[in-house]
Amino acid sequence: MIQQNFTDEELKVVEVLKQVPDPEVGVNIVDLGLVYTVIKDDEKKTLVVDVTLSTPGCPVGDTIIQHIQTILEVTYPEYAVTVNLVWEPQWTPDMISEQGKMELNQ
Amino acid sequence: MQAGLSTKNAPSIWVVAPHFLLAPVSFLMASLYLLFHYGALLGYHISAPVLTVLHLMILGWVTMIIFGALYQLIPVVMEVKLFSETLAYITLTGLVSGLFFLITAFMGYEFQLTNNFIIGGSLIIGAVLVFTINTLVTALKSDKKNMSKLYIVSSAIYLLLTVMMGLFIVLNLKYAWLTKAHTEFLETHVVIGLVGWFLMLVIGVAATLMPMFLIVHKIREDYLKWGFYLINAGVIIIFTITFINQVPEFIRVVAYLMILSGLVLFLLFNYDVFSHRMRKKLDIGMKLSAIALVLLLLSVISFVLVYFGNNVLGLGVGRIEIIAGILLVYGFFTGLILGQTYKTLPFIIWLFHYQKLVGKQKTPLPADLYSDRLATIHMYSFVISLLLFMAGLLFTVKLLLMLAAVAMVFTSIVYGINVYRMIFHKKQIIK
Repeated sequence: MIQQNFTDEELKVVEVLKQVPDPEVGVNIVDLGLVYTVIKDDEKKTLVVDVTLSTPGCPVGDTIIQHIQTILEVTYPEYAVTVNLVWEPQWTPDMISEQGKMELNQ
Repeated sequence: MQAGLSTKNAPSIWVVAPHFLLAPVSFLMASLYLLFHYGALLGYHISAPVLTVLHLMILGWVTMIIFGALYQLIPVVMEVKLFSETLAYITLTGLVSGLFFLITAFMGYEFQLTNNFIIGGSLIIGAVLVFTINTLVTALKSDKKNMSKLYIVSSAIYLLLTVMMGLFIVLNLKYAWLTKAHTEFLETHVVIGLVGWFLMLVIGVAATLMPMFLIVHKIREDYLKWGFYLINAGVIIIFTITFINQVPEFIRVVAYLMILSGLVLFLLFNYDVFSHRMRKKLDIGMKLSAIALVLLLLSVISFVLVYFGNNVLGLGVGRIEIIAGILLVYGFFTGLILGQTYKTLPFIIWLFHYQKLVGKQKTPLPADLYSDRLATIHMYSFVISLLLFMAGLLFTVKLLLMLAAVAMVFTSIVYGINVYRMIFHKKQIIK
């Protein structure tokens, strides 16, 4: 499932995730369309992120996941962070944002 | 970490890096040897200098780097860990020691069997056998079903077949088992080596990597599937008729047409990927790969000209044959390796240095590990060298051939510097 609406707090998380690049293309994972959902529960103090990869064989896949996990744990130390790797729906290049497309060709 | 990821399947850097360390040395040696024997390109092509350069290029440069890159790419394509890293070290040792004996044998080649041929050939067969076992067992462990896997597995079997045939041919110099012309077996050895091994492998790897690097999702699987059937059928027919007497010539022609059609389908596959790519701007690795594909097309056209020149028009086209060979080995194979080095090696080096630091500290990206400027310089010198080779051969100008060889030596040195720069990279943290 791809989340359509984000709360203001979740949008802040999305901004943090923009610091995580795909090492191959050098574009951040948000603009590449790899972040599907961000659920921040302030009562339970949990932060759950669903992300995908452009291809299952991506040689730097778990480095990206590790990067997300680390950066969220550092930014939100009081939250329990869970990063889920999902394959549904399958990522397609159409999910790249206009900004991402521009950066890909710079 | 979760299932379905590939970094945990990645091999140790110590398996991959030695191949990238040694292969540029072979490339430099082959280029230097050619510089001292460039005149041989204008003579009969089955000569000691040509065979020395060819085997140094195919085994020491192309095969060496493919082995290293494959240990890294197999986990990407098949999504499993390589079966055995120990077997990979055994393969490397056999290949390097076998190459030493084989090259010294070819340097003094006078159409006679020497002990160095037998020792070198046997060591290389052993190395390739171990490599084939390693690849096949890895493929059996993988439950992925895709065209890439089929191509890679087939290519490993053809590699074993061609090196066995190579040793068979040199042994025949002494024991004269063959009832047919020696050159026909040589032709089959070349076809299985270049088409069955290298081209099949390249197609298999490119089928996964080209769409991945250029960000393309809908690929023409049908081109890959038909290409697989056609190329395999062509190679198997060529191999089979080598052992049968009085085969009508048209069967050989049909087999070559099948291989040619398969190659055209591969070129169309790439054309489709390039024209639908999301990543319009090509980095240096993909620029070199695109140049290599154009050189493959030119090489295919040259081989067709050679066939028509020889068999239809009755012309002596030995020099075009050399041009076709240079376009394939120095052009396509080398261009693709030069380019794909920048798409593979930086990642394993980067993972080795920075995997544990991501998110904690700001690290360079894999593309920061090599000099883009040096890569661009050797891209130009590589193209200039090929143009000089073509001109020198077409117009029989030795000076141009010498300059071409100088440009190729320069290319190999600049490429080697960039590769060594990556291998000996020291960890950097960006503040």
